[in-house]
Amino acid sequence: MRIAYLLLLALALATPEWAQNNTAPLPMMRQELETVARVGSVMVDGDVCQKIVTPLAKEYMFKVDPKDPWLAGDNYDVDDVSFNVTKKSLIRLSHLTSFPSDVNLWMPLDGHPGKIQMVVRNKNEMSQFWRWGEIVQDMPVQMEAVLKTGQRLTVTDRPGWVSVLAPVYNSLGDIVGLIEAVSREKIDAHENVK
Amino acid sequence: MRRTQSQLFLVLFLFLPGYSLAAVSLEALPEFLRPDPFGGIVAPDQGGAQLRSVLYDGHHRVTLKSWRGGYVSFQLLVKSTAPGAYSLTIALNDPGHKIQTDLFREWFHFTDSDKHYYPDALVPVHAPYSSHLPEPDNKIEHQTAQAFWVDVYVPPDSKPGIYSGDARIKFDAAHTAVPIELTVLDPMVPAEDVVTIDHNSYGSSFLAEQYGTAFRNYSGNWYESDQFFHLIHAYHQIFYEHRGIMHQLGYGHAGKVGAEFAPGLAGSGRTRHVADWTLFDRHYGPLLDGSAFASSRRGPRPIPFVYLPINPEWPASYEFWGEPGYETEYVNVVSEMERHFREKGWTHTDFEVFFNHKKRYMGFPWDGDEVRFPKDLNYFLEYGRMLKKAVPADSPVHFRMRADVSWDMEQQFKLLKDVVTLWCASGGILSFYRDAPQALRARGDVVWYYGGPPSVRENAAAITEFPLRAWLWGVNGFVHWLTVSPGNDPWFHFDGGGTALVYSGDRFGLAEPIPSIRLKVQRNCLQDLAVLDSMKSQRTLDSLKSKAAQVFNKSTMDDWWNPRPELADIPSDQWQGSAIDAAMEHTTKGLAHPGVASWYNVHLYALEIAGGGK
Repeated sequence: MRIAYLLLLALALATPEWAQNNTAPLPMMRQELETVARVGSVMVDGDVCQKIVTPLAKEYMFKVDPKDPWLAGDNYDVDDVSFNVTKKSLIRLSHLTSFPSDVNLWMPLDGHPGKIQMVVRNKNEMSQFWRWGEIVQDMPVQMEAVLKTGQRLTVTDRPGWVSVLAPVYNSLGDIVGLIEAVSREKIDAHENVK
Repeated sequence: MRRTQSQLFLVLFLFLPGYSLAAVSLEALPEFLRPDPFGGIVAPDQGGAQLRSVLYDGHHRVTLKSWRGGYVSFQLLVKSTAPGAYSLTIALNDPGHKIQTDLFREWFHFTDSDKHYYPDALVPVHAPYSSHLPEPDNKIEHQTAQAFWVDVYVPPDSKPGIYSGDARIKFDAAHTAVPIELTVLDPMVPAEDVVTIDHNSYGSSFLAEQYGTAFRNYSGNWYESDQFFHLIHAYHQIFYEHRGIMHQLGYGHAGKVGAEFAPGLAGSGRTRHVADWTLFDRHYGPLLDGSAFASSRRGPRPIPFVYLPINPEWPASYEFWGEPGYETEYVNVVSEMERHFREKGWTHTDFEVFFNHKKRYMGFPWDGDEVRFPKDLNYFLEYGRMLKKAVPADSPVHFRMRADVSWDMEQQFKLLKDVVTLWCASGGILSFYRDAPQALRARGDVVWYYGGPPSVRENAAAITEFPLRAWLWGVNGFVHWLTVSPGNDPWFHFDGGGTALVYSGDRFGLAEPIPSIRLKVQRNCLQDLAVLDSMKSQRTLDSLKSKAAQVFNKSTMDDWWNPRPELADIPSDQWQGSAIDAAMEHTTKGLAHPGVASWYNVHLYALEIAGGGK
């Protein structure tokens, strides 16, 4: 019993701090997230993604009624079959990392250049780009580059964060969105619990 | 809360050395007339100017009346035309040593929106209290008046009768006295409230933000410290002491769960199980067995309701939604929770399975909160089925599915019968369905409606409209949707307090929340409602309600409901927000702006019929 305890203690002491904190050093994080993004770019079905946001939601997304500030949100709707298929793929992709990560889906909006929308988020609620609560936001230059070039891009703008952006294709070969594989050095267990 | 337990010796001495020419006075004000720092009354309360003298009798004596088991409150306004130091004294003779007083200094908040000062946060102080005018930390240039809130608590075992005393201010060799006479009435304020008033909150990060001193000075993980859990309990305590309850939601819109809100899990699929109850039990144990309230004047009592951390991503992984693994994970863990709660004896609390997420926050494809699209209700039915599978039908542990409803509530009341049994309804839309509360309660459901705290820019009685409406409607309670968020700088750049009824005591060296005037007014209103409702043994409940509505704002019971609009007959996913506003026009117009004296009049009515006389 005592030997087992000592062995466990030795193992615990041998575990690096980053592992005890359930995270990883940035270079390792970057490497694994790049793998996730590369795989995700192949596995996420762009045709299914295009069916997620309903026509009603798109119709109201940019409407403004001074008497009704919640017009866009109240009319926001998704096709739950497409959403679920995509979300499950994104969750499984996040399992490829050895530390907590999320894989988010972002999509541009037809007829609204310069705008982009977070379409699917996941349980660690991490993103370097999402402005909490916004349905549509301005397109970050990095996302615009990925959508134009099809090249994966690693973003470390916020200290301690790594996001790898990768394109999502439909059956026509068009880039219809992108995934953000993301994690951070120090997980904030309480951020976004609201 | 700093409690001065004594023979009601609330002693305020005012010393203003070196300013012998200063004119100094002490004035007692009723709770509905909030003073400003220059000796006047804040603009929203000026319509109640007739109340300024109601505390005084013909001998210029402050007269207070209280039932036993309750509070009576008033304000003291210290005024001086010149700056200086002060302190003061009051004496009230209570041979039984039962009656207790709490003294609070009123903080004057500067609101950027209208550039005015309003008192609201109540800083606990000990009597005798000594300070300066202008009050140094409130930093108000040319301040000439400092207000104090006085709570007099009359315990249930107090002896009915008259207690005399006075408040005095002293200036150099001279002093001014205000005699006080407290009449303790024989009737009791019922211990149980007739409506539940809930104070909602989200997550725990607000605690780290508002208690920066404790958070920064702690060397380890503050979120696992005793200090942290004591603070959570202190929030529950302050609301409980003010006849309310508190909810603290523990997960985000995409399913992220704060560790202190849920047991730790391990395994996946068949092997998913609870691995660690430590943080959950530290958080909830004292709340669920009532020991967190052991020092309360109301006595220890388990909290009546609590959110569970259950959401589409916990305890089952959404990766498996619709597959056997999801149901297995869900049922296994919820069954373990039921067993744990039963073994702990936590059988006096309703454990709420509540979905707060909205699809607009991109976590899940259906709305758990305020369902608008009928297809989303299928998810509720599925969770209801799994909950029944997880919890034995004869369990003494009470699980309830809760739904916060607005658009589609009428359909949900029908379709989710026996699935959802706790309804938190939009007050505006519930006003279309006059028969709903009684029908829902008849089948055993609990019905609350929701809204938000009135800003300090509304009159002092504004907060009483919510509990009154709940009682008149016959629902079980009201939910303030957010009550712990006073903004980035409530002290000098206040947003008005529309999301706060308590404040952090950190600024004053207190590792606990401090109350507000609005919370005090609400508590006193709840006392009156409990007393009024208790009179239904002597009068019909309808007559009590009708009279209360009439004296409150000259309304009839019909004024509190809207006619069922045509809108109600079309699918809710075709409704527009502006049309809902139009459908509420009857109550919006009929009930607008209850006067400053509205609740004072209800209080007088309660006193009249419950042993107090006029």
